[in-house]
Amino acid sequence: MLVWTFWISFLGSAAVALLPSHWKSEVRWLALLFAALGLALGLWGWGAYDVEVGGYQLGNGEGVPWIPELGVRFRLGADGFSLPLVILTGVIGVTGVLYSWNIEERVNQFFALYLLLLGGVYGVFLSVDLFLLVVFYEIAIVPKYFLIAIWGSTRKEYGAMKLVLYSFAGGALVLLGLAGIAFAADPAARSFDLERLAATNFSSGFQAWAFPAFFLGFGILAGLWPFHTWAPTGHVAAPTAASMLLAGVVMKLGSYGCLRVAIGLFPGALGATVLGVPGFWRWTITVLAAMNILYGAMVALVQRDFKFVIGYSSVSHMGFVLLGLVTLNLWGLSGALLQMFSHGIVAGLLFAVVGRLVYDRTHTRELDELGGLGRAAPFTASVFIIGGLASMGLPGMSGFFAELLVLIGSWKAFAWVLIPVGIGMIVTVVYTLRTIHLAFFGAAPLVGGDWRGLPPITLPEKAASCFLAAILFLVGLYPTVLLSMMDRASQQFLDRVKQTVPVHLARP
Amino acid sequence: MEPPGLNHWLVVSAMLFCIGAAGVVLRRNLLVVLMSLEIMLNAANLALVAFSRYGNGLDGQIFVFFVITVAAAEVAVGLAILVALYRLCGTVRVSDIATLKL
Amino acid sequence: MNLSDLLPLLRFLAPEILLSALALGALLGEAALSRLLGVEKRQNLLGWLALLGLGACLVILGDQAARGETLALGRGAFVASPFNALLKTAATLAVMASVTMGLRAPFVRHVGENYALVLFSLLGMFFLLSAESLLMIFVALELTSLPLYALAASQKGARRSIEGGLKYLLFGGLSAAFLLFGISYVYGMSGQGSLAGLRDWLVAQRTAGGPGFLFLTGVCLMIVGLGFKIAAAPFHLWAPDAYEGAPLPAAAILASASKLAGIVVAARLLLGAFLPVAGNVLGSPLSWHAGWSPAVAALAVASLTVGNLAALAQRNAKRFMAYSSVAHAGNVLVAFLALDASGRPAALAAPAIAYYAVIYALTNAGVFAAIHALAWGARGDDFADFRGAARRAPFPAFFLLIFLLSLAGVPPMAGFFGKLFLFMAALQADATHWGLAWLVAYALAMNVVALGYYLRFARVLWVEPAEDLRPISTPLELRVALVALALLVLGLGVFPSSCLAAFRTMGGVLLLRG
Repeated sequence: MLVWTFWISFLGSAAVALLPSHWKSEVRWLALLFAALGLALGLWGWGAYDVEVGGYQLGNGEGVPWIPELGVRFRLGADGFSLPLVILTGVIGVTGVLYSWNIEERVNQFFALYLLLLGGVYGVFLSVDLFLLVVFYEIAIVPKYFLIAIWGSTRKEYGAMKLVLYSFAGGALVLLGLAGIAFAADPAARSFDLERLAATNFSSGFQAWAFPAFFLGFGILAGLWPFHTWAPTGHVAAPTAASMLLAGVVMKLGSYGCLRVAIGLFPGALGATVLGVPGFWRWTITVLAAMNILYGAMVALVQRDFKFVIGYSSVSHMGFVLLGLVTLNLWGLSGALLQMFSHGIVAGLLFAVVGRLVYDRTHTRELDELGGLGRAAPFTASVFIIGGLASMGLPGMSGFFAELLVLIGSWKAFAWVLIPVGIGMIVTVVYTLRTIHLAFFGAAPLVGGDWRGLPPITLPEKAASCFLAAILFLVGLYPTVLLSMMDRASQQFLDRVKQTVPVHLARP
Repeated sequence: MEPPGLNHWLVVSAMLFCIGAAGVVLRRNLLVVLMSLEIMLNAANLALVAFSRYGNGLDGQIFVFFVITVAAAEVAVGLAILVALYRLCGTVRVSDIATLKL
Repeated sequence: MNLSDLLPLLRFLAPEILLSALALGALLGEAALSRLLGVEKRQNLLGWLALLGLGACLVILGDQAARGETLALGRGAFVASPFNALLKTAATLAVMASVTMGLRAPFVRHVGENYALVLFSLLGMFFLLSAESLLMIFVALELTSLPLYALAASQKGARRSIEGGLKYLLFGGLSAAFLLFGISYVYGMSGQGSLAGLRDWLVAQRTAGGPGFLFLTGVCLMIVGLGFKIAAAPFHLWAPDAYEGAPLPAAAILASASKLAGIVVAARLLLGAFLPVAGNVLGSPLSWHAGWSPAVAALAVASLTVGNLAALAQRNAKRFMAYSSVAHAGNVLVAFLALDASGRPAALAAPAIAYYAVIYALTNAGVFAAIHALAWGARGDDFADFRGAARRAPFPAFFLLIFLLSLAGVPPMAGFFGKLFLFMAALQADATHWGLAWLVAYALAMNVVALGYYLRFARVLWVEPAEDLRPISTPLELRVALVALALLVLGLGVFPSSCLAAFRTMGGVLLLRG
């Protein structure tokens, strides 16, 4: 039943598109209904998933043949890696609709594209067939362009085009790897089934070029430094709901692909000797991930635009995910997975505050021009502070466990990396506090007055904000709610991977 | 003096082809360009007939009949378009039809 | 030969016979009705009759494909096979879209002649798709092209139409001359007129010291001629002008059915007849083998580069489509090179080329039909004339978006699978050494650029504001055509194996009868 999530989203997209554009409230309610159905199915999946058994569940079994000439099957399912991300997609999907309640122009098209994007993302997370995964990945690219180019702000067409071309370039790398996989194995056993591929022992020569193609291809979408530049411009240009989806979910799509496909299928490449360096790719990715954390935080520190601060903080936080993935131990891997979920919620919340609660009302995002907003809009300020604290990784919030686990994992795997990461975390605290101070507590600016008379926060916005904040606390106080299935999946993953990775790289 | 053999005919045909190609590229009058195209087709005809005569049976000569017909049709269409162009613009020179870029 | 022997022949030749009758009927109908009915009524009446006839053609072709029988006449002069019937079906569908577009085109005065030209051109394509001998290929190619020259120039009051038609004629004539001169050498050196005979002769020559210099010169000249036909760079110079000048219904045929026929005939010649002299382009240039492969690789790279980069700079929708067509020629040529070190083509190559040619024809017919519907209310066909067209005519604008995304290679549209199969075929050829990875990587990179410009066109329609808000009404028949083409593009995309399997079981491009 879980597989209905993307069918429902596609169906919703078509239904919403067919409604006349002046039926605005009907369109909104219908979109909310379809998004909520997706979330409900995701939550049902969370309840129905058997953690003890692990592996792929709740799908369509072994699937049905789709393109038999190439061994492509239409096979779906979820495991401990993908199920939390499906739920995340549902949560962001629903709250995104709530934060988009004020969209007046071409409402039906907006929600049609939005649901199309949601459906594509669900599809990626639920695909057990690599070919299918790539198809959904490509489906999810184009709606982003129109969402940003039509309803966005600040250099929207530039941001949209850059984002789409980066994603498509990543997609091209993935396609190259995909076409390679098709003929790497014995033609009789040709298959794109992720489970079967994971059990295949690819030759080290093939792994050596397939791994970087896939990791880079998906890594571009995950904001891997130095290919992250699409992310801040794209997020800033996007309308609120789209920024939430982009930073909250689509970047996770990239890291999910890195984990599931690049590392999952070619773990041997992580330890392989390239250019005379043993474990070349693992080293490279570790350094790049550390750069993500440090560079993203540093750049966020000097931004004047509120939304760019959040944009670069996303790049910084994705560094933790990528770092956790290459530690190849239980702490790091579970931490990365939890960080994916946690950052998804945090980024969604922060972008919602900046885009909807602040910018749509003040019509400026310059931190210098804001100031003193806290008194005029206490709800906005409190929500942002909650999100900001979670983003800093304060105990009791979801970010805390996630980053802690990643830190433990990297301590075990490569202790030296903690130096740049530690600096990055300190900078994170500084820029978050700076932003909170400048926007909400500093002296009221001369031009804007004291922000009295801002439009009040509406009910959908309040509901969505409280919902997201509640999840932050829930996962922060009781991480087992997700961590149990993540741990189980990571354990199974590591058991399998250990057979192909040199022992010293995968020590517990 | 020995009678001309296959190679002689082929050389003539290649020369004709090159003359035609040069005419298409270099000449400025569209009528002459069309004529040059015909020279190129006839160069091929000559080669076909020569090959046919020196050993390959009758196929080539049959081929030539088809080519002559097709070439006539091509000229008919070409002249029709040229006439239409002349009526519209009063010119049949290559340099005058530069409304469209290359 | 008595009558009972002729009847089965009639069954195989029925589409061609019907088409000839239709074309002649259109001419006669024009002559008979020109005094009785006004231009618009004649246009409608004859147009619907032509559509009806083409529909009947589709039925016959479907029957041929379903029966699964193959007939070869006259040493490959005419081969009716289920595979060919499917290709002809795609060409017929594209031409039907063009006829539908022309039902209300205001510029034509001699409507009967116009339809007759369209039908004769399609007849030429039918023969071309069935031809497996050099003579028939040449004659059919000319039968396809000559009406198209006239159609491209048929907007007699517009200077750019005449000029475009003239350029098309000159370059087309040049290409025919190159092709014919090449054919004369190929025929002369081998003494073979049929493609199967040529291949056998070439195989025999392997042990007898090679086919000789003159033969290879002939092959190269033929490649130049074919390059013109499928608009591969650097032989694409006619395409932008011919597309821009031609009225939209004619441009639609140029870009769809004519291209399909060109690709198929090129595949028959290169991958069929000339396969033994293919050479290869695997790995670094030092390890390449001489043959036609390096030349075709040069064409492919040039087409990918020129087509994609020049399309970025275009301001006119039709010129834009012309450069897109050059780029797609580059894409399809990639699969022509899918040969392993011993010269055997990859198993996926032939079905991938056929699949691509079919979906490309259908998609392009859709693009032009949608542009035609939008151009109804626009002043011209520059991008600027389509600004905000989605507000004025959401229906065709939506379908245009679908077709453009298919060309860009976005799933679930068929274009994605088409490109993917082409590139997979190229990688399959030398799967152990990834000999063609350089070419595939380049093609993929260029296709990222391609998404950029297709989205630019889509942006003009969907993102930019409209200056003129009057709605554009789309005639019902055009709507039906758009929906049908979109369903085909989506259906062949979501179920690619329906087409692939058919192409494989019915014999790919390579299966020559003789």
